[in-house]
Amino acid sequence: MSAGAVTLRRLAPRALFGVTLAAICFLIAFPALWLILTSLRPASGVYYVHRGLEFTLGNFATVLQDERLVQAFRNSAAIATLATVLSLLVTVSSGYMLSRFKGPIASTWFGTIYAFRCVPYISWVLPLYFVTQSWGIYDTYTGLLLPHIAVHICFFSWLMKGFFDGIDPSMEYAALIDGCTRWGAFFRVALPSAIPAITALAVLCWLFTWNEFLFALILTGERTPLITVVMAQFVHEMGIEWNLMSATAVMAMAPAFLLALFGQKYVIRGLKI
Amino acid sequence: MTAITERAKRPPFGEQQRFMLTLIAPAAILMLLFQAIPILMGANASFRDWQLNDPKKTWVGFHHYAQVLTDPAFLKVVLPNTFLFMVLSVSCALALGLSIALLLNRKFRGQGLVQTVLLMPLMVAPVVAAIMIRWMFNDQFGIVNVVVEALGFEGQPWLAQRWTAFAVILMTDVWLWTPWFALLLLAGLQSLPKEPFEAAAIDGASRWRVFRYLTLPMLRPVIVVCVVIRAIDAFRTFDIVWTLTGGGPARSTELFSLYAYEHAFLELDFGRGSAAAIVGGLIILVVGLAMYRVLDRVMQVSR
Repeated sequence: MSAGAVTLRRLAPRALFGVTLAAICFLIAFPALWLILTSLRPASGVYYVHRGLEFTLGNFATVLQDERLVQAFRNSAAIATLATVLSLLVTVSSGYMLSRFKGPIASTWFGTIYAFRCVPYISWVLPLYFVTQSWGIYDTYTGLLLPHIAVHICFFSWLMKGFFDGIDPSMEYAALIDGCTRWGAFFRVALPSAIPAITALAVLCWLFTWNEFLFALILTGERTPLITVVMAQFVHEMGIEWNLMSATAVMAMAPAFLLALFGQKYVIRGLKI
Repeated sequence: MTAITERAKRPPFGEQQRFMLTLIAPAAILMLLFQAIPILMGANASFRDWQLNDPKKTWVGFHHYAQVLTDPAFLKVVLPNTFLFMVLSVSCALALGLSIALLLNRKFRGQGLVQTVLLMPLMVAPVVAAIMIRWMFNDQFGIVNVVVEALGFEGQPWLAQRWTAFAVILMTDVWLWTPWFALLLLAGLQSLPKEPFEAAAIDGASRWRVFRYLTLPMLRPVIVVCVVIRAIDAFRTFDIVWTLTGGGPARSTELFSLYAYEHAFLELDFGRGSAAAIVGGLIILVVGLAMYRVLDRVMQVSR
């Protein structure tokens, strides 16, 4: 056999692997790339995105003049940030409890969380509309924040339990023996070592809240529009202006891209249950 | 955590129990206020004549449940759609995700880049994903029809026919969730012990046999967890259907969440919407438990 044939035989599988990989990446990335391309086309070129080479940033400028949209972006960012901070406060301690203790209280709490996780959102979001209205918090930040935190409790307590399970508790025992209180052991020993996990959780929580749709649809009205709801309305109402639609969607996607680029480590960590 | 637990032979509600309860108190209060109370309220409303524009709130017993369970749209369209969607979406995403994970389970250049690309769909809002797919499948100007016509076939009004619309919805969901499966399964693969694979290589086992008798059984727990979590979520899918088709054409792609929403907020019959939501909740409870058991057993037999 000639040397050429040998190299070919060695290289062929690698080439095949590379091509398959490229094809997969292309398929996954294509919809987003197409959206970005559309958002850069002027209104005249949008119906033939694949033809013509005119590009413009005008769509973004037009979209940013729409006050309702700007307000929606601001609201979404504010809600996502506040919800992240508050739900971390709530879920970290609950996850810690699940990880460090056994017995009836812990197992009851775990069962409750598991059961609530299975309830379809729609079953409690429908009546939540009335609950928030009768408490006078419908269509306000409070009325959106608190349900968002509540929805995160189940999943994030579960994740946080997993994180704490991976942290050796012996340091906390040592602290307890040295006369530290349980709260001291939690705040001064356990929390600092869980900071990477908490960061991962924060990134996920922010994204989930920013992306959330059903809650926003039912619990907001005219006063606190959120970006996902406004976009969905646009699709149904002014579904023809695809250049503007794409520009809006690209801006809504931007935080996700930035996090994928810079916070990747944390997101992956958060996803690995 | 044995040390703390074993010291716990004290009267109930000692110092440790108080600490435990305080740790979960904020979460428990929030869940009570914003999950338990609404669910109870919904259950209550499902037994009452509760029109949004005329809330009489008179007791009507199981009237709404009877309505939902005898509604041909619910039995012949919504339920089959929901289950078909759940099964197909989870199995396609699992199969694709597993293949990608197996492919990526080696060292190669550009690993970081591939990971970034894989992560992207996970971070994109389902509404945004639905918008881009909707644009690609636009019947007049979408790129899909351009390609289809360039290949010499006839372009389709994808979102205006029941089964093509359903396929597009399914595809969107698979696009969103395949990377999730791939990343989790890849993590699972990488945490498997090396020795059994080395032994199999020495014995000269074929690739298929290694996959069938080593990889798959060892990956079982990860697969079960992924499938159960994903199936429960797929059952309640709302946003992509809402944005892609709004349940159309002629409500033929409605899933159960849309059905409940539509009755409560578009037909303003809150009682009936709640009844539908509760029926769905009960179904997923049964399905979720059954699925966990069946899957567990099937995977054990295959070992």
